[in-house]
Amino acid sequence: MNPVLERIALHQTRLHTPGLGLDAKGVALGAKGLVLLPSIDRLVAFLAVYTRERSLEDLMPSLVMHVVRSKLGTREITLEVAAESSDRMDRLADTARLVGGFAFTGTSRHFVQYRDAAAPFGYDATELLSTDAALLLYHDRFSQTYDVERPIGLRPLLLRLMPHVDPSTKDEPGLRILVAEQGLGPALVHYLVRSRVEGDVGVAEWPPESAFDDAPVRRWVLRVPELPDRMRQLVHGTPGITAFVPVGPGVAVEAGYRHPIELRACPVFEAAGLVLVRGRGDEPWAIAKLPPMGALSAFARVELRATGGEASVATGAAPAETVRVPLRVTPSSGPWRNVTATWVAPEQLPLLRKLAYALPHATVAQARIAVTTRGAFVRSAAGIEAVPLGTFFVEVHPGLYVPAGHEVTPAVAPEVLARALAAPASQVLFLTTQGRAITVEDGAFVPLETALLEAPPWEPVVAEAIERALDEEPLRLEVTSAGMMPLRGVEPQQG
Amino acid sequence: MAANPGEIAKRLFEGVMGPLVLGGALRPGHAIGARAALALGGDGTMDGLDASLFDRVQTARVRRARMLTPVDTVDLPAPPEWAMAAALHDVLQSANPSLDAALRRKAAARILELAHQTLERVPPPAHAGDALSRHTWFARVLDVAREDTSVSWWTGSRVFRGVPPPGRLKAWPNLRRVNVVTTPRPLLELEPLAVDREKLAEAVTLLLARTPLTDLATCARTAPPFAWSEGTLALVGTRAGRTLALRALARVAVTWVDVALGRATRELLTHKRATAAPAIALLAERTLALAQTAPGSLGGRPDGAFARGLGAAAALRMLRAEDSEWPEDERRRLIRVLESAARTDAVREAAAMLEGAS
Repeated sequence: MNPVLERIALHQTRLHTPGLGLDAKGVALGAKGLVLLPSIDRLVAFLAVYTRERSLEDLMPSLVMHVVRSKLGTREITLEVAAESSDRMDRLADTARLVGGFAFTGTSRHFVQYRDAAAPFGYDATELLSTDAALLLYHDRFSQTYDVERPIGLRPLLLRLMPHVDPSTKDEPGLRILVAEQGLGPALVHYLVRSRVEGDVGVAEWPPESAFDDAPVRRWVLRVPELPDRMRQLVHGTPGITAFVPVGPGVAVEAGYRHPIELRACPVFEAAGLVLVRGRGDEPWAIAKLPPMGALSAFARVELRATGGEASVATGAAPAETVRVPLRVTPSSGPWRNVTATWVAPEQLPLLRKLAYALPHATVAQARIAVTTRGAFVRSAAGIEAVPLGTFFVEVHPGLYVPAGHEVTPAVAPEVLARALAAPASQVLFLTTQGRAITVEDGAFVPLETALLEAPPWEPVVAEAIERALDEEPLRLEVTSAGMMPLRGVEPQQG
Repeated sequence: MAANPGEIAKRLFEGVMGPLVLGGALRPGHAIGARAALALGGDGTMDGLDASLFDRVQTARVRRARMLTPVDTVDLPAPPEWAMAAALHDVLQSANPSLDAALRRKAAARILELAHQTLERVPPPAHAGDALSRHTWFARVLDVAREDTSVSWWTGSRVFRGVPPPGRLKAWPNLRRVNVVTTPRPLLELEPLAVDREKLAEAVTLLLARTPLTDLATCARTAPPFAWSEGTLALVGTRAGRTLALRALARVAVTWVDVALGRATRELLTHKRATAAPAIALLAERTLALAQTAPGSLGGRPDGAFARGLGAAAALRMLRAEDSEWPEDERRRLIRVLESAARTDAVREAAAMLEGAS
């Protein structure tokens, strides 16, 4: 068909296309924006480019995608959204241009080409096509009519797309969701429990995979916040265990693969459920509602003695053989973790005072300090590295600190050590490198920000308090009975 | 049957004298009468008093006295103070609304008459310390007010005069649409009243005349209006009394003091010119103090102009006297300030009256 578009001139007010108007900038804009894409892969490219920088959340309420068919029988893809502003349309048009699509604007059936460099105020169709087609698109190079063949849902599209192979996602830190087949689940759970890996575990059910199965498919779903590096190979390489990397609320992609579209920008997944997108073309596993999850530690293996009584009762007491050895604090090559306290010696206190001016606000706000005759003890749950002074301490147990880079020998558990030291809960205990223990009253720790500032002297305003104290109560005359004979015994003065 | 003075003193102290100093509820009881009132203060009067309450009252009196002068102790209540308190007790009882009934109004009038009789027999303060002591007792006498509570509900209403309404009448306030309005009524605005209101005011005036420092300290009151009395003139006629009076007046708004003192002094100059010298001296010193510390306050309301003008004219005469003890520079400065403030008709009128007075 011949081109029937003309450029809209500056200050032009009369437009031929129904439903087309001018926005505040003078740009021709209808109620909707439409992007015409030649194929599904172009649509995927469009979504991939668009979601790379911004979310689809603002488009979702009005986003409609269709497969449309022209009179010649060719199938193309349309994506319609509400054209709220020329800014939104500019973004859509730029993205469409990048992936080989065309941007249009209109209101019901007639859509004209959206503005481009040749026509900064857009286009108007001077001659409208007369047809019953559902869509009539006017472009400077073509005018075409389309009929809607079928809609395309965003969520089904996303789930049908096969993720690309990307081994780098296996090494990404952070949360992992592990799905283990029913037979492997208990073993994996016990392995993680033995390795002191924290996490949650639950069992999810899927419908039978075929009509020959009469029972639902059960799989163990584990959520592991920090999977130790040494276990990555195990969870990625063991058949029957699949690791997923969360990529957005309610959706995760199998480790080793990356979804072509930024799923975080597509708000089509329920946060209460979970969709696990698998690689290799396998269909995704969807869990409408996450099953109850329990802590991994609750699944630790328990064993019962098969023989013997309930308890062996002692029949007498004999003096215990002394096996106690003195506590030693020895240097350790282990990594420094949880360094949350420092002991600043008295001679370093002037330096701490100078350092106070350079400390960031977060450190000043979080740190607590206790000044003692042995120096100042500074604690900060978020880490004490910002105070590069003194001897650093690692909190191995609540209220029990061991010098950083050192360990306690004999290598007893921190709980045992705390119990052996028998320090009250109100005391914070610091073990020195000489194996001595220094306790500081927990109440002696005050926020660093209150201890730091040497405020100028001030006088309390006591005038108001004094005024209140001296405030005079009103005088209330209370009426009492005057009696039946008010003058009884009332006598005048004689003489 | 005459009651035991100790019992009367205890009842009087706990019901009127203590609350008058400490604040709270004054509960006048059975009328005391002139004879018993004038017999109070003798031996054994204070034997039955609550020691704790007495200590608190004495402390509050010291606090009151220290508003005017740096004293650390106050004397025990003297017989005239007991008598004045007993008279006040009877004045308050005469305003008891239960006496506003047939066959009882005469009793109320009699009680008031006996209170008047008591006050007439109370001697004026012998010196400034005596006036200060009485002031510590009666400084707040005009603050006494009865709280009348009006309770209305969906089917009726009642007024409770000087007694709290029973809780049952205030129950279910929303359902019964209870409305409680409490109105404080000062002593001279009480109603209904079984006695003649003017006689009640006379009794209060007489009581104030027996405590001249209180009379001056409350000169800005609306009723009874301040007028120079022998007691107040005698007080401000002494150096110490004038100082106490000036300090007491300094605690009241300048304008209202000017209005009250101006009106009273004009009346004094008109009727008893010969006795006006202490009042004029007080005004002069007051104007001098204002000229020295706050010259801007020499303006003010027109009805206070007479007091300021009279004070300015008298102050100028003091400053221009040959035996003036003011330093020369300060004297000239004050004369300039006062002359600039004294160019009004009120001041000329006051100066003319002053010339006549001298």
